Amino acid sequence: MWGQQVVFWLLAIAMGAAAIGVVRSRDVVHSVLFLVVVLAGAAAQYILLAAEFVAWVQVLIYIGAVVVLFLFGVMLTRSPMGHDSNRLDNDQRWAAGVVALLIFGVLTALLVDAFGGQQINFGPELVAQGSPQAIGSDLFRTFIVPFEVVSMLLLAALVGAVVMARKD
Amino acid sequence: MNPVIDYHALAPEIVLSVTIILCLLVDLFIPDRPRLVPQLASLGVLAAIIPVLTLAVSGTDVSMFGGAFVVDNYALAFDGLFLVVAYITLLVSFDEIADGDYYGGEYYVLLLTSVLGMVMMASSRDLVSIFIALETISIPTFVLAGWRKHDTKSNEAAIKYFLIGVLSSAVMLYGMSLIFGFANGTKLSVISEYSAGSPPALFAVAIFLTIVGFAFKVSAVPFHFWAPDTYEGAPLPVTAFLSVASKAAGFVALLTIIRFGFFNSSDSWQPLIWVLAAASMTFGNLAALRQTNIVRMLAYSSIAQGGFILVPLAVAGDVSGPSAWEAVLVYLMIYAAMNLGAFAVVMAVSRRTHSTEISSFAGLGRVDSVNAVMLSLFMFSLAGIPPLAGWFAKFVIFRAVFDAGTTAAVVLGVIAALNAVVAFFYYSNVVRRMWFDEAPEVVSSPRPASVALTLAIGITVVVVVVVGVYPEVFARLGQLAFASG
Amino acid sequence: MELNQFLILSAFIFAVGVYGVLARRNGVLVLMSVELMLNAVNLNLIAFSAFNQNINGQIFALFIIAVAAAEVGVGLAIILLIYRNLRSPDLDQVEQLKG
Repeated sequence: MWGQQVVFWLLAIAMGAAAIGVVRSRDVVHSVLFLVVVLAGAAAQYILLAAEFVAWVQVLIYIGAVVVLFLFGVMLTRSPMGHDSNRLDNDQRWAAGVVALLIFGVLTALLVDAFGGQQINFGPELVAQGSPQAIGSDLFRTFIVPFEVVSMLLLAALVGAVVMARKD
Repeated sequence: MNPVIDYHALAPEIVLSVTIILCLLVDLFIPDRPRLVPQLASLGVLAAIIPVLTLAVSGTDVSMFGGAFVVDNYALAFDGLFLVVAYITLLVSFDEIADGDYYGGEYYVLLLTSVLGMVMMASSRDLVSIFIALETISIPTFVLAGWRKHDTKSNEAAIKYFLIGVLSSAVMLYGMSLIFGFANGTKLSVISEYSAGSPPALFAVAIFLTIVGFAFKVSAVPFHFWAPDTYEGAPLPVTAFLSVASKAAGFVALLTIIRFGFFNSSDSWQPLIWVLAAASMTFGNLAALRQTNIVRMLAYSSIAQGGFILVPLAVAGDVSGPSAWEAVLVYLMIYAAMNLGAFAVVMAVSRRTHSTEISSFAGLGRVDSVNAVMLSLFMFSLAGIPPLAGWFAKFVIFRAVFDAGTTAAVVLGVIAALNAVVAFFYYSNVVRRMWFDEAPEVVSSPRPASVALTLAIGITVVVVVVVGVYPEVFARLGQLAFASG
Repeated sequence: MELNQFLILSAFIFAVGVYGVLARRNGVLVLMSVELMLNAVNLNLIAFSAFNQNINGQIFALFIIAVAAAEVGVGLAIILLIYRNLRSPDLDQVEQLKG
């Protein structure tokens, strides 16, 4: 339990700092790298929560595919990589900061009110629940329709992205 | 332990999926016959209506996957609506897509994928299915909004719609994740049970975030700002699709999640929907008054019409019978017919004038009296003048308000009535200019409206007139859809 | 461990994502901020999944990951198209129409 807490707090601090880095960095490539830290931290938290399969999907799809897409996006649109922050932000930074603080404050207060002191029960059932077998059988028993429709959605997204990005 | 799959109940989805894949393959292997893909697409949509009809005739409700996917009259009524709307959208698309410098085959693939999401939405009864259906509806339309690739207005339409779409999904999902945590399940029936207890304040916030996500999708004020720009920038058939089909799908999602999930905590959602309804009607109408472009005017008018559709939802918690739910369905069906019809006429006219400014419609009565009569009919129907279908749509809404009978409901009813009067001004302004103003110099090279476009106008005008005179047709449909609920 | 540890971390990342969406003008960066918000959602779902011992949360998260990948693909294609037409990835360059 003690070890878990240490790991959680290390990860949480890294994720929080990196998340701020994503939205405050003056260099788009740095932002992408900060995003990798947040995504990897989230994957580690999933392992901490015994969701092993989702953690690896997170690593493969998010860090492996989505981040690469972002890097291509940065490269192809020649987004500024210098240190000129005015080019990346608009002029509503202060308002945005107030809104974000407000959201965080309200959500935290309500979360404490609703779930304060409740513990997650780590037992053998929890570990079994995160296995690919358990997920696979539930996915194909209960969520077969959304699963099949997602495949059509990915096909359409592929076709759409090709049409949009193609030079003609 | 294998799940029971009823292929008859899934037939509309399967037919659409097969059609999508066939369209892709035909477009790839038979590129020299560009008419083939649109024909195949409309055939597929018509074929998907057949199982909807046979399921409706068989009359048994099918519930699969532990109640996550349900095919009942409610789902079938909306399936039918979506498929008919899809067919008319295809009819109005043929000329525009064939004449412009567009990708042809891909257009139909994306449009049908969006329709697949809508058909799935009507049957979805859990958060995961609703989310996937919503994304399947939205993601293809982000691309379709930017289909005029070399026009920066169309680019803007796509990027605005895309960013608002993903942002609203993220907000909605945050709400859904909290709801999952509270209710310990994603099925709406489980959430409904949970909300019957006394949930903490955070649950109300979760409902709020979820509904805000949907409010973006149906462009309810104050989450509407993307709609006019997107509608103006997108190709006209896509605008017609967005303002009717996507919007209807958003309302179906809202209706489903409120009716089957949140209904018991009406304190959380009723005030929110009330504000959205009042703001959408008032702001949409006032902004529509100022517009000089008919597409922008129709965009604001569709925001206002969306406000009217929210009215019965805002009072649904205080209505004992199903009249509020029926009102949403009936209004959506009538709204679909009249708005699609209006867009079809605008398309037919703009093929001649190459303009969508309201000034270019001046004197249309003398130049092209058939289209002028049609557009007048649709405008008066949108304004709610009897004996056109629009009046019945307004009637079912006020009936729901009276059934509720609370102070909040009556105030909302008064706001709706005032807005109906305001709306009359800008709709009738178009009609006045068509019949009483001088025609401007006609631009050369008119392109005649095709059979398909004429057919689309024909179908919608028949619905608008027949339902206006015999409203029992749609009223009966509404009763059947909510008979068991 | 407390459930709220994870939920408050998630709320923080969500709020940071909202800040990014509001304050950034580069299209790629706005999209990255939305990804932050989606990750906050996933963290919520996985934490609740462990707390409730209910596997549906993990499946929900998997669907969100799949859809997010599709969204990013389509979004970057649109941003790329705009860059070709306007030579800029900034969103306020696109403001042509007025409400």
